[in-house]
Amino acid sequence: MQPTASSFAFRTPLTALLAGVAFALSAAAGAAELRVLNWQGYGTDEPWAVKRFAERTGVEVVHDHFNSEQEMLTKLRTSPGAYDVVLINSAFTCTAADEGLIQPIERAKITNFADLSPNMRDSAMLNCGGKLHGVAWVWGVTSFAYHTGKISPRPDSIEALWDPRFAGRVGWRDDPVEAVSFAAIALGQDPNNPSDLDAVQAKLLALKPQIRTFWSSEDEWNKHMAGGQFDIATYWSGSASRSKTAFGLPVEFVIPREGAIGWFDGLSVAAGAPNADAAHAFIDYMVDPEFYVKWDTDVGAPASANARANARLPADAFNRTVLGDPENVARLHFMAPLSDATRERFLEVWEEVKTELAQ
Amino acid sequence: MPPASLERRQRWAVAGLTAPAYLWLTVTVFLPLSAMLYFSFLTVAPFGGREATPTLAHYAAFLERSFYARLTLRSLRLGADVTFWCIVLGYPAAYALARHVRGRWREALFLLVVLPFWSNALVRVFSWTMVLREGGLLDSALRSVFPALPPLDLLFTYEAIVIGLVHSFLPYMILTCYVSLQAIDEAVIEAARTLGASWWTTFRRVVLPLSVPGLAAGVVLVFVPVIGSFMEPRILGGRAGTLLGTVIEDQFTVVFNWPRGAALSYILLAIVLAILALAWPLLRRHLGRG
Amino acid sequence: MRGAGATGWVVGAYLGAILVFLYLPIAVMVAMAFNESVLYELPLRFSTVWFERLAGNERLLQATLNSLGLALANTVIATALGTLAALAFARYTFRGRALLRVLLFPPITIPWLIIGTAMLVMFFWTGIGRGLHAMLLGHVALSLPYVIVVVGARLGSYGPELEEAAATLGATPLQTLLRVTLPVIAPGVVAAALFAFAVSFDQFVISYFLAPPGVSTLPVEIYSAIRKGFTPEINAVSSIIIVVSMGVLVLFARLYRFGGVGRGDAG
Repeated sequence: MQPTASSFAFRTPLTALLAGVAFALSAAAGAAELRVLNWQGYGTDEPWAVKRFAERTGVEVVHDHFNSEQEMLTKLRTSPGAYDVVLINSAFTCTAADEGLIQPIERAKITNFADLSPNMRDSAMLNCGGKLHGVAWVWGVTSFAYHTGKISPRPDSIEALWDPRFAGRVGWRDDPVEAVSFAAIALGQDPNNPSDLDAVQAKLLALKPQIRTFWSSEDEWNKHMAGGQFDIATYWSGSASRSKTAFGLPVEFVIPREGAIGWFDGLSVAAGAPNADAAHAFIDYMVDPEFYVKWDTDVGAPASANARANARLPADAFNRTVLGDPENVARLHFMAPLSDATRERFLEVWEEVKTELAQ
Repeated sequence: MPPASLERRQRWAVAGLTAPAYLWLTVTVFLPLSAMLYFSFLTVAPFGGREATPTLAHYAAFLERSFYARLTLRSLRLGADVTFWCIVLGYPAAYALARHVRGRWREALFLLVVLPFWSNALVRVFSWTMVLREGGLLDSALRSVFPALPPLDLLFTYEAIVIGLVHSFLPYMILTCYVSLQAIDEAVIEAARTLGASWWTTFRRVVLPLSVPGLAAGVVLVFVPVIGSFMEPRILGGRAGTLLGTVIEDQFTVVFNWPRGAALSYILLAIVLAILALAWPLLRRHLGRG
Repeated sequence: MRGAGATGWVVGAYLGAILVFLYLPIAVMVAMAFNESVLYELPLRFSTVWFERLAGNERLLQATLNSLGLALANTVIATALGTLAALAFARYTFRGRALLRVLLFPPITIPWLIIGTAMLVMFFWTGIGRGLHAMLLGHVALSLPYVIVVVGARLGSYGPELEEAAATLGATPLQTLLRVTLPVIAPGVVAAALFAFAVSFDQFVISYFLAPPGVSTLPVEIYSAIRKGFTPEINAVSSIIIVVSMGVLVLFARLYRFGGVGRGDAG
């Protein structure tokens, strides 16, 4: 049914945009499809969100998933024109842009753009070659969480991961950049540019008596924590909030006084996207407070890059109390883009550590 | 029939028999792997405008970074352990199935051995974590019988990886050995017996050599994949689960270093072929027919 | 009939122990399908909620159907092609035989992740692209070495005497193949077919890389679910598959005596 000007109430610019897309698409063809490439269970594939978007625009959202940033890049490289919207961690956005895998964003089509926090929205990591290639979407912290029933009092230093009291009870994410970053922070170095990799490696080797096992997905983390395989483990802020809300695990997330790793994700439009208009509309919907508040309240999510959306969360929400506290934020070391060579160097350090840990 | 034309017919027969399979393999496996082999001699994978120059650095890295060699030895050791247990457990089972069980029972048992194959490997491995962990099935069962025992926690150990892999690969060994053992003519065994050979001598001099094709096939189908395995090690091994397979995987999933991953894969292939090339003549000599 | 007396007991006990080992995690898997806890926590609390959820889980059901279809197609093609190749290796000596045999190693040695990535790139460059057809190409390629090796093992245990005898009695090569060779190597072919089915049905790396957006197979679903919310619905579908497979195999065994016409069979 074609909307007419008199029968349509443009409540917000977003609705106008969605209506515009619906109009354009219904005029153009039958039911259209939007292909989204993202982590599984990371917001864009929430069933109610997909349904709502389809109701408003007539566009069906189809997902493809990846399990690592490298996999995401491989899929983009080998399937041009297969995707419309891609989630890219800000540290990788310009890599994708430089390779011509994503196209510039049309700012005007993102009605919520002005509400995004300037430090992320205008970040050089998203503005590649002077053009905007990613819309800041969510951000969070990588630090550690612990089981409140088994560990007390609350640890407030990153050295807790190296604490002999917790020997054999520590969980660790198998990721070289994260591992190097934690060690660097503990040693007072810059995680994005460690001055002494040998010291970092030694620090990581000191984890040998501590680590019980590695985890590589949120689900694994939940199962191990619930099963008692570890009581304190590195983790992400958004996931910690989900573990508490959705799984009822008694865990607390800690941003230690030495600092933790900060990151933010952006939504980009793939080069050669078959449905760029709908892609922009979908991204706009993702950064809209309407979507975000429901996502965080019902499921648990990282913090929104949209300050207005964050402000609409309940006062006791994790993303407002912990991540809204400027003191906490000031201690964060945000992830920066790393060259392939640097990543490979970090990987070698980590692989050597893991080999030793395996003996 | 003149020999030349017989030979030509034979060549046609061979070509006709092998061409379909090998054409398929060429297009789907050999060509892609050749591309990977080519990549392994480049500095970077030639994507997205990257300048790739020829180099042996990735192969040299295997020699320069000692941890690669350590991991390879670990993986080889794992392969040997798993293959050993598969033979020890699987060959007798195949023998029992082939020579002591008859009729419908044999078929039923044969199928029962095969069935676990068809369960999903990931779910199976995860089920093992439930059995092996502290407070899991094994621990609870043992402690319900012997309450004084300390908690048994096998999870995240090398032993857990071996158990998981033996469980996954045992059907391969049982099946291939069965296929060979079942072919042995009862009459030959009878002949040996009437000539006064003991059970052991009959086994050693008649049955075992005749079953070598199956045993060899089983060794190949177990040892080789185990060395490059990464799923059971990751899930069951925890910290102990770092092996060559996982490190190769990292080159593709954690960094964009396909040349390094390809080089490591081909080194692995070379090592495997070398081992099998060395072992084969030994095997033939010791278990030679006669 | 089993072997008599004490030997029979020992044999039975040993085979029983092996079966217990093989089925232990399967039993756990099935048990957990009926456990209420979403995080696999013990103790067991009986519930059929996961089966109910499964019935509504269209994505998982469609993926399972895809897996089954692919596996069946793969089994037929790989077993046929592989058996032919195995026959060539066993019955003929020709130049290049050793090389062809050695070429069977790369697909089983090199980690499937590498092969999958290489296939993805090559299929992209050659325009084959991603899709069910690409997945079938990949699955058959990975199953072929297994089929060739297993059928080869069976052929290796039989000399060519039976076939030569048939030839002297006037049988054409085709008749020999169909009426002599195939029945004799049947257990090997069946075992190879079972392997091929398992390789395909359980294959997630190749399927993962070559599946286009929106298409999925059961192992891919399970692997992706591991990343985010591995619920016992997975156990439920796996349990159903095991039970159905058992039924199919038992039926198959009743209808076709594929234990093989072995020379070692007395009755």
